[in-house]
This record gives sequence, structure tokens and C-alpha cells, in this order.
Amino acid sequence: MRKTILAVCFAFTASPQAQAAEAWGIEGEKLVEFSARVVDIACTLKNDCPPDCGGGKRLLGLMTEDGKLRAAVKASVDFGGAVRDLLPYCGKTIQVDGLLIENPAITMVMVQRMRENASQERRKTLTFQADWDARNGKSDEWYRNDPLANKVIADDGVYGIKGIEPPKQ
Amino acid sequence: MLKYLLTASLFGALISAPAQAQAPRVQVKGELVDTWCSVTGIMFATGTAHHMCAVWCAVGGIPVSIKDQQGNYYMVLRIAEDDENASNPRYAKIMSHEVTVDGELIERDGTKYLFVTQVRDDQGVVNLTHDENGIQPFGN
Repeated sequence: MRKTILAVCFAFTASPQAQAAEAWGIEGEKLVEFSARVVDIACTLKNDCPPDCGGGKRLLGLMTEDGKLRAAVKASVDFGGAVRDLLPYCGKTIQVDGLLIENPAITMVMVQRMRENASQERRKTLTFQADWDARNGKSDEWYRNDPLANKVIADDGVYGIKGIEPPKQ
Repeated sequence: MLKYLLTASLFGALISAPAQAQAPRVQVKGELVDTWCSVTGIMFATGTAHHMCAVWCAVGGIPVSIKDQQGNYYMVLRIAEDDENASNPRYAKIMSHEVTVDGELIERDGTKYLFVTQVRDDQGVVNLTHDENGIQPFGN
């Protein structure tokens, strides 16, 4: 009995490490873990290549070992992309895990965790939040406190149309 | 000898040139959406109801796409001379707008990438979805 309890406890504590990616229940999603080279998507497609993969101002992708280009569209931060996480590895091969979304209209990747090689611990893709906090001060909801987002919404309204506002509560 | 050198140089230039196929020129009409929310369907993600979220995502560096009426997504990688396509304030300011653009289309590995050469028309936000769907995703 004691052995069984210990085994169950071990299973629960071990599973977060063993499980590579977290499912979101999105249609067409696959939990994936793969090695890929970090690339500037526009550079790859059009040979339009600024230094350092655009220094954070370009969308980045993952070139898989079998030559497939996957747009890295989302990180683990709410409303945050993966550019900041991938940028330090421009041109390098890393290991990522996350969700591959294969929709008939588009194929894309949510990068949930990453590491440089198998000897390292995987880390969550939270660099956008860390960078934002460093620039603006810590916030649990960066998007509600972002100066640019707030200016756009103040200028045009929450619906994007001047003069149309939600009813006062 | 000269002929040989010229031939060799030409051949060398041909094999060393990057393989850049001529991208087809297209005209696309549709709504500027944040690619993640719209594709995944994790919330109602078009029009006025989703405008605020779309702005947050564009600022956050999630790719912006044009979604046309057939449900195609064209991930925008350039607008005219502006080649900054991540967290670009210009994109944030036109989220949810219905636009008609000319551009070069490159399709690769299941994704359509669009290099916009000209914005022909910008109707602003015309997709009124808030009466039915409120404000996505949090209601305020």
C-alpha cells in the first residue's frame, strides 16, 4: 500500500516535467517538441535581412530540421508574441515545445517553452512580460497599462470607432 | 579561354544566387485581425467586439493578418516601405479596419505571407459585432 501511495505521489510530481507542452483544446492543435533554427520570416522569404533578425521589430519563425518554416505567433504571456524570447537565438538552433496549429487556412506555432539544448531545463516563454516590466514597471496585466495600446484605444474607443462607446455601468 | 571563364562565371553566379521565386502579385480585401485569437477561435475575434484585444495583440507582437471573406489569412510582413512587422505602432492603429491592399504573396508550408506594396482603401472599422458579442475577451 505504501509503495502504491509513493508511486502515485511520484507520478503527480513527475508529470509536469515529463509533459512537454500544454494542450489548449484548439481545433487542429498538436502538442509538439522539436529542434529548429530561429529565423527572420521576411528575410527567409524575400532575402530582406536587417542585422540581428530585425532587433525585435521583425516576426520570427522556426526553420525545422526538415526545412519547414513555422511562424512563431504566440508565447506564454497573455496577448504576447514570441519575438522577444527567440531574438537572442537568431540564426541558432534551439529546442522548443508548444502547440502546432494546423488550420486549413494557416499553420503556426505557439512556443510555450524553450531551451538551447537537451542539457538545459526548459524555460517558459515569458520574455515579453519581463521586458515590458523593465520598461514600464511591473504589472499583472501589461496590456491594460501599455502606453501605446492605451493611446490607440483612447483615440478611437474600445470598439475602434470614435463616438461609439459601451454603455456606462 | 575567355569564353570558358565567362561561362564559368555566369554558371557560378547562377548557382550562387539566392533562390527567390517571383512572388505573385495579388489584391486582398479583408479585416486586419490578430492572427492568434482569430485562427484559434478561443473567443469571438473579429470586428468591434474584439477591437481592444486586437490592439493588445498587435502591440504584444502577435502577427497581424488580413482575413478575407473566404476565411483566408494573409500574414502581413510589410506595408509599403515599412518593413517592421512586430509590435509596430502603425499596425496597432489600424487593427480591425477593413482594407484593400495590393501586395506580393508568398505561400510556404501552409501559411500565406503578404508583402503589402500599397494600401488602396481603408474603410476603418465596419464590422459591428459588439451588440451581439460585447467586448472580448473580458467584457470591459
